[in-house]
Order: sequence, then structure tokens, then C-alpha cells
Amino acid sequence: MFNYNFRWGQALNSLPQMLEGALVTMEIAILSMAVGIVVAIVLTVFRLSGRRLLAAVATTWVEIARNTPALFQIYMVHFGLGSFGIHLSPYLSLLIGITFNNAGYLAENFRGALKAIPDTQARAARSLGMSAGQAFGSVVMPQMLRISFLPMTNQMVWAILMTSLGAVVAMNTDLYGVTSELNARTFRTFEFFAMAAVIFYLITKVITLTARLLAARLFRY
Amino acid sequence: MKTSILAAWAIAATAVALPAQADKLDDIIASGTLRCAVVLDFPPMGSRDAQNNPIGFDVDYCNDLAAALGVTAEVVETTFPERIPALMSGNVDVAVASTSDTLERARTVGFTIPYYSFENAVVANEKVEMSDWEGMKGKVVGATAGTYEAIWLEGKVKEWGEGEFRPYQNQADVFLALSQGQLDATVSTVEVAEANVKSGNFPGIKIVDKAPMVPDYVALITLREEYGLINYMNLFINQQVRTGRYAELYKKWVGEGEPADLTIKGVYR
Repeated sequence: MFNYNFRWGQALNSLPQMLEGALVTMEIAILSMAVGIVVAIVLTVFRLSGRRLLAAVATTWVEIARNTPALFQIYMVHFGLGSFGIHLSPYLSLLIGITFNNAGYLAENFRGALKAIPDTQARAARSLGMSAGQAFGSVVMPQMLRISFLPMTNQMVWAILMTSLGAVVAMNTDLYGVTSELNARTFRTFEFFAMAAVIFYLITKVITLTARLLAARLFRY
Repeated sequence: MKTSILAAWAIAATAVALPAQADKLDDIIASGTLRCAVVLDFPPMGSRDAQNNPIGFDVDYCNDLAAALGVTAEVVETTFPERIPALMSGNVDVAVASTSDTLERARTVGFTIPYYSFENAVVANEKVEMSDWEGMKGKVVGATAGTYEAIWLEGKVKEWGEGEFRPYQNQADVFLALSQGQLDATVSTVEVAEANVKSGNFPGIKIVDKAPMVPDYVALITLREEYGLINYMNLFINQQVRTGRYAELYKKWVGEGEPADLTIKGVYR
């Protein structure tokens, strides 16, 4: 039986601290998405390039990113590289881990999007005298980004939730880190984690709504 | 007339609905099982043997408590942060989990008198120049998240205004980071520090100094309102010391030497 009296006072007093943590969480998610999209585009180009080595690099990246737990990826960035003497701060370890994961998933999204764009478009662009690069950059890629826009917001939400995994690399300034530290000090576990859950929910809601508004504006036909 | 009949009914209904008040102590004895939350990645207090059975000081302490109550013990493994949810959700009756009895935590859960006390040591990476605990100033230091020493160390880093504090999730990660040189120093219980230096699992670390903290008294915890159980456990802890069982367990799990004095000079309790 659940035997607990909720006392919200202490948790509410710590709200400013938790909101600061929420800002760090959003910062990491946004940075990891921005870099992740760029890397994913590069990986997609690698796969299209027809060069075996580049394609192999891209495929390996995507396979590892999609088929191992994000927790493992972040842990390896910190302790795996650490065993080779490469020491990254918790912030950087978390950021790189999530970016790695984002790039892998987004590259796969882009691949799906490319399949939805008829080959004839690239050929038509080439026949107008565009180079292969121009055809990809100004004809295919904009459509690719449009088609994969909603999956991208999905990944953004996932990136926000993934920041909570920073705990394994001693991250203590993000929303989860701040919450678990308050919990260790006061033992008001349920209040603090309930509040963190609400904040996470609100952040992701705001992001999906913003994305929907943006999509409506950007992708009007 | 009508209201008085209603009132009479209401009183009768309340009397029937009120259950006989059995507290947690009664429940444990009636159920025949004492469920203890124990942290099992915290040797020598809690760990697992080669056959994966829970062993350690805290495990034995739970068994002793169960024996005193005449029930069987059930060890439920938790991490440090999971102790409280396990208690609150009724998954365990008590936590025998080296819980530091801070006043801030005592606002939420019920503590017994201390049953053990830790001293803490500063452990550093060999490559770092450090002669005493104050050498940690300005360095990258870390400890196991949520522990007494982590709270102390983070406070120190804030006080110094330089350096960095990193809370890792478990003891093993702290020492891995220290051994790799990601951390310059850590603070851990003397027991853990000595065990880790001796084991050779974490090369390149050295014990530097004692940490100048108030000794880390740890207590059994249960729900704050379970006075019956807390009273019983206080007496149990007293008897453990009185009968020499405390010293015996210390010798078995920690080693030769005197176990820490659990009394505070000049004050009751």
C-alpha cells in the first residue's frame, strides 16, 4: 500500500533551481539537434556518394547509433574515451553522446525521405545544367528536410528526454541532475520527481507545438 | 429528529469502519517476514558473493533484526536513491542501508539511533600533487551521488569557489574515473578507500589524508510515523552493541581494530 504524505513546500521552493536545470537540458537538446542534423546530412551524402569507404563509415555510424542503448553510447564517450586518456567533461560527454545518437537516427530518417523523392527530379535538375552537388543542395535536400520534418521533432523530444541519462557521466546541472541531487539531500523523492516529470512534459509539449506551427508556416504549398 | 437519527447512523458507521490500529511492528510480526532495503554495491556493508548471494555487514544486520523479531529476513536490493521510494511504496519495511542521519532527511523519514559510523578518506590519482585534504581546492573532485561525503564535498567546492564537483552514480564509477585521471581526487569511506587501493582493480590511486568531516553516523530508517518500530530498533541496536555482536560483525566485515564508538560524549541519544 502506498503510504506517503505529499509535502510540496520544499519542492516548490526549489523550483527556480529546477528551472535553471531545465534551461541546461534545453540547451543540450538544441545543440545536439543542430549539430546532429548537420552530421546526418553529411552521413547521407556519404551514403549517396557511391564511395565504398565513406558509405561504410556512414552505415557503421547509423548501425551503432540505432542498435545500442543511448545510455551505453554516452557512457562510452566518457569512460571509453577516458581509458585512452581523452577526458571530456560531463557536459561535453553528454552532448557528444546525444549528438551521436541523433545523427544516426536522423540519417536514417533522411534515407527514408529520399526514397519518397522521385529520381526523376535529380535527373531533371541535372538536365537543366546543375552539377550533382547543386541538384542535391537546391532540389533534393529541401524536399528531404520537409518530408522528415516531423520525424525530426520526434528526435528532438527524444533528445530532451535523453539528457536525463547524463547522470551516468556525473552530469549534475541538467534538470535530472538537479532533481536527483535535491532528492539525495531531502529524501522528498516523489515531490521532486513528480515536478521534474511535469517540467519535462511541458518542455516537450512546447517543442512539438512550436514545430507544428513552424511546419505550417515553412511548408505551405 | 431526522438529523439525530442520521447522526447516530454516522457515528455507528464510523465505529465499524475504523480498523483496529496495527502498526508496522505488528504487521511485520504477523506477516512473518522482515523486508530490508540493502545497497549491494557498497562493500563491505553490502555486496554479493561468487554465488550472487547478498553478503555484508548490512545483510547480517538485517538477518539479526529479523531473528530478534522471530521472522525471516528478505533482502531487497536497492540503490542509494531508491531506498526512499522502496520504503514509501511499502516494498520494504526498513532500510538497512548505511543511511546518514542528516537533519534535512529526518524531516522526511524516521531515523533510529546510529548503528555504525564511517570516517572518510581523501583518495587521489597518483599523478596529482596532493599532500593533505586541502590540496583538493581547485581540483576536479567527485564522489558517489547522494552520499554524505558527496554532499560535504560539493559544499566544500562551492565554498572554495574554484574547481569542479562531479557526482557519479556508483562507487565503482567514481574509482574508475579517478583511476583514469578524469577525477583528481575523491572522498570515500576509509573502508571503501582501503579495499579499493588493496584490490588493485583501480591502479594509480593513493590515500592522501583523512577528510575533516564530522563522522558519518548512519542509522536504520523506516517511515517517520512508525514509532513502535523505531523504538524497537533503537533497543535492538543497543543490544547489538551490548552483547558484543557489533564488534563481532565489525571484525567479520571490516577487519581488526576497534569499531567506532556510537555514543556522543556530553549528550543523550
